[in-house]
Amino acid sequence: MSSQPLLVADGVSKSFGATHALNGASLQVFPGEVLALTGPSGSGKSTLLHCLSGILAPDSGRVSYEGRDLTTLTDRERSALRRGAFGFVFQFGQLVPELTCLENVALPLRLAGVRRTRAERSAADLLTRLEVGEVAGKRPGQTSGGQGQRVAVARALITSPRVIFADEPTGALDSRNGEQVMRLLVAAAKERSSAVVLVTHEARIASCADREVAFRDGAAVFAEAAR
Amino acid sequence: MTADVQRADVQRAGRGGFAWLRDLALGVRLSVSGGRSGWLRLTLIAAGVGLGVGMLLLLAGAPTAVAARQERLADRTPGAAAGSAGPGTLLVQAIETRFRDEVVRGRILRPEGDRAPAPPGVARMPAAGELFVSPALAALLDGPGGDVLRQRWSARVAGTIAPQGLAGPDEVYFYLGSGTLTTDDGAERTASFGGGGPPTTDPMIVLLAVVGAAVMLLPVLAFVTTAVRFGSESRERQLAAIRLVGADSRMTRRIASGDALIGAVLGLVVGGLVFLGLRQSIGALLPSDFSPYPSDLRPVPALFAMILLLVPAGAVLVTLSALRRVVIEPLGVVRQSGVRRRRLWWRLIPPGAGMALLYPLLGGMSGDIGDGTRGQLAAGAILLLTGVVVLLPWLVQALVRRLGGGGVAWQLGIRRLQLDSDAAVRSVSGIAVSVAGIIAIQGLLGVSIAATNGTQPPADRFQAVAYTNGADGAGWDAALAGTPGVGAVRTAGYGYLRTDPDDQSGVTVRVGDCDVLRQYAPLPSCADGDSFVAVQPGWDSPVLRPGIAAPFYGADEATPLSRWTVPADLPVVTLYAGEAFPVSYLATPAALKVPADLRGMITDAYLVKLDPAAPDAIERVRNTMARLAPAAPLQLFGDKRIGDQFAGARQVAQACAVLLLLFIGASMLVNVTEQLRERRRLLAVLAAFGTRRRTLSASVLYQVAVPASAGLLLAVVIGSTLSAVLLAATKAPVVLDWPVIAAMTGTVAAMVLAVTAAGLPLLFRLLQVRELRSE
Repeated sequence: MSSQPLLVADGVSKSFGATHALNGASLQVFPGEVLALTGPSGSGKSTLLHCLSGILAPDSGRVSYEGRDLTTLTDRERSALRRGAFGFVFQFGQLVPELTCLENVALPLRLAGVRRTRAERSAADLLTRLEVGEVAGKRPGQTSGGQGQRVAVARALITSPRVIFADEPTGALDSRNGEQVMRLLVAAAKERSSAVVLVTHEARIASCADREVAFRDGAAVFAEAAR
Repeated sequence: MTADVQRADVQRAGRGGFAWLRDLALGVRLSVSGGRSGWLRLTLIAAGVGLGVGMLLLLAGAPTAVAARQERLADRTPGAAAGSAGPGTLLVQAIETRFRDEVVRGRILRPEGDRAPAPPGVARMPAAGELFVSPALAALLDGPGGDVLRQRWSARVAGTIAPQGLAGPDEVYFYLGSGTLTTDDGAERTASFGGGGPPTTDPMIVLLAVVGAAVMLLPVLAFVTTAVRFGSESRERQLAAIRLVGADSRMTRRIASGDALIGAVLGLVVGGLVFLGLRQSIGALLPSDFSPYPSDLRPVPALFAMILLLVPAGAVLVTLSALRRVVIEPLGVVRQSGVRRRRLWWRLIPPGAGMALLYPLLGGMSGDIGDGTRGQLAAGAILLLTGVVVLLPWLVQALVRRLGGGGVAWQLGIRRLQLDSDAAVRSVSGIAVSVAGIIAIQGLLGVSIAATNGTQPPADRFQAVAYTNGADGAGWDAALAGTPGVGAVRTAGYGYLRTDPDDQSGVTVRVGDCDVLRQYAPLPSCADGDSFVAVQPGWDSPVLRPGIAAPFYGADEATPLSRWTVPADLPVVTLYAGEAFPVSYLATPAALKVPADLRGMITDAYLVKLDPAAPDAIERVRNTMARLAPAAPLQLFGDKRIGDQFAGARQVAQACAVLLLLFIGASMLVNVTEQLRERRRLLAVLAAFGTRRRTLSASVLYQVAVPASAGLLLAVVIGSTLSAVLLAATKAPVVLDWPVIAAMTGTVAAMVLAVTAAGLPLLFRLLQVRELRSE
């Protein structure tokens, strides 16, 4: 693991109306590591993930990626960063229902300007490696939950991002499927030297991480060293 | 023990005879207790249904408004003619004049006894020199240039005509008291008012009204059925949750019905308010001759009851029919997978049936259109227009199935349509029907107006002509020439060639100098001594064999003015529209060897040259004419104004088109808003991936534009077909009105862009991360 952090949150606070979601949260994400943010519902872990990924601006504090302060970037610059450097996996996959699985996976590449045929070839390769090549031509509604989530993982990995943000990626899956998805996500991320910031409330899933930071009431309460 | 009691309660509740009522009530309760998003959904439904119901109520009020207007017009029409003067009789003369672009109508009244009845709307008979005016005429008199108009009658405004004496609030109307009016002026004697029978309406106007009503009705109905399904996906998720706690599929349907009912009922309430608002403002959109009093617009009770009953019933039926395509299970909602290929054959039935109904009319309808023909026309037009609604889903599916490639925005938009084009089709079917109807109506109107107008005389030499219309024109020449702003006055006359002394009709020859004759027909060339054979479309004018010498008679039917030998090879010219009787020849005085000042001939027209620098010169000429012969017609050359009925119909059609397009624009916006709201999580996810705003904006545009283009194509085909069929039915030349088609295409394109642009603020708001948090 490199000594230079990739992402740094420093004293980040965020409120939604009267609700204080984050109270001066701080942490660092290093290249290639799998970091689990754990804690009960409402502890602020998803909010921190959104702040780290630049889709939410903190009220106070600083979030930097490779030394660049995300809060000073324009919306367009942050969007470009998310397209090129970040990948996302959500609890319910959130695939575009009208596109086929192949097209869903190719979407981030196409948004980055890669030609369609090339993007779809890469997507097909990745789906095969994640053991869901057979659903490439199907729409998300025609796949099982586990298959859909693997497609979502493929979509997050397709641009070989520096950081993958995964918000409860196994929350909608049974334990067997959940573990499989996590195994694939972690393996593929390691292969690409991508860091993974994983939000979960399941200890079993958190155990896949290199490091765990527990949250309560909007702040980190302990950090466990790499296993 | 407690558990046993609870179990017994549950079993009893399940067996109750009013279980369905409880389910309905539960649906209502779920609807109103859905928190902010629930209320937002309900508000959208109520707004959508309300907009449609408001329009339906307006349409349902139209027959009442027309009837009320016609009743008032009939009430003020003079009653049966009275034979001789008496204490209860009066003389009445109808007047029509213009002030700038406003038609000013009125009646001159002269009571012949103290018991003569006053017309409706005024408390007493106007005394000689007194004028009772409508509020609209009062506004004209008090407005700019009103002093010129006041001089027209040299009368004192003594009162205002009340609504019961007027066709509508914007009618420009007056009653003028006279002490000199006689039957020789063309006045009629009567002892009562209220003699008006049913008004005669041009068959084309009936056609236009029938097609117009269908055009207004179909998009409104289409939109109401769309509106009741707003937020259906969240409702289905809610129902799945209820299934989880024990509701069976039948109960689920009843709960969904309750939910649909409350939306429809709220929509009715909102619709009532929309109607009250429209009722107050509709007059501003309509021409002054057609604007109704707000109180006239009362929905026909039967139609009102139908709307009250059918909207909620329709909402329930639409909801239940939509539920047939999804399976609501305790663990979620399953949509019937796969894209069903839409069948074409049954969609061809409505337009085919429409054509079958209209086909017998292709040979031309009789002048008087009876109820049967009217029904046949209405049904045929509605069925043909329904073809747009039923064919559009098939056409859109067939079109998008063949579309591929393109960028991400195109792919997102097209794939969405390929997977499910129902919502998009629903949102544009209204506009497609309207465009089809507008093309048909405008096509009919264009031909009707062209037929009414014919070719118009030029307006460079003379700008107006005053017809004597049987009155004595002595002194008119001088009076008109002395009017401020008049540069010159020339006279036109006519006489008859009679080969047989016993033939009283003869062959009519219009006489005037070359400048005058050019106002009657376009002449190839003309010099004093020339004459022409006149052809008049629609008239069968007799001509004499060249070489025949015939005596030419003027005002004196006993003594000929001259004898004319019909020359051979006379140039043939086609008369402009507007000649009131058949004319066979145009001739200069020298050709007929009659005096250049037309002495001895029947002079029936005074052509007036106006000074272009004199403001209101034509109004002053009208003032002069009002003094000389108030009922004599004055025609403007180069006048753009067209026949009253068609002018009104065109204005009504334009007003309805504006109202309809505004309504459709609003409904498309509500649809886009609703679809964006349904997809807010997905949009937020796409934004999280860094999808550019312009990519998502373009995908929204494609989702509206592609079905709209298909709809427009279908609308042009069906609208033009309907227009052609209706034109053939009225024996008019079948021509496509390309300017209207181009205008409608432009309007639809502008509307698609405007709707997309108006939806963008919501789209950008939905790209915020809080939509992810709602997971």
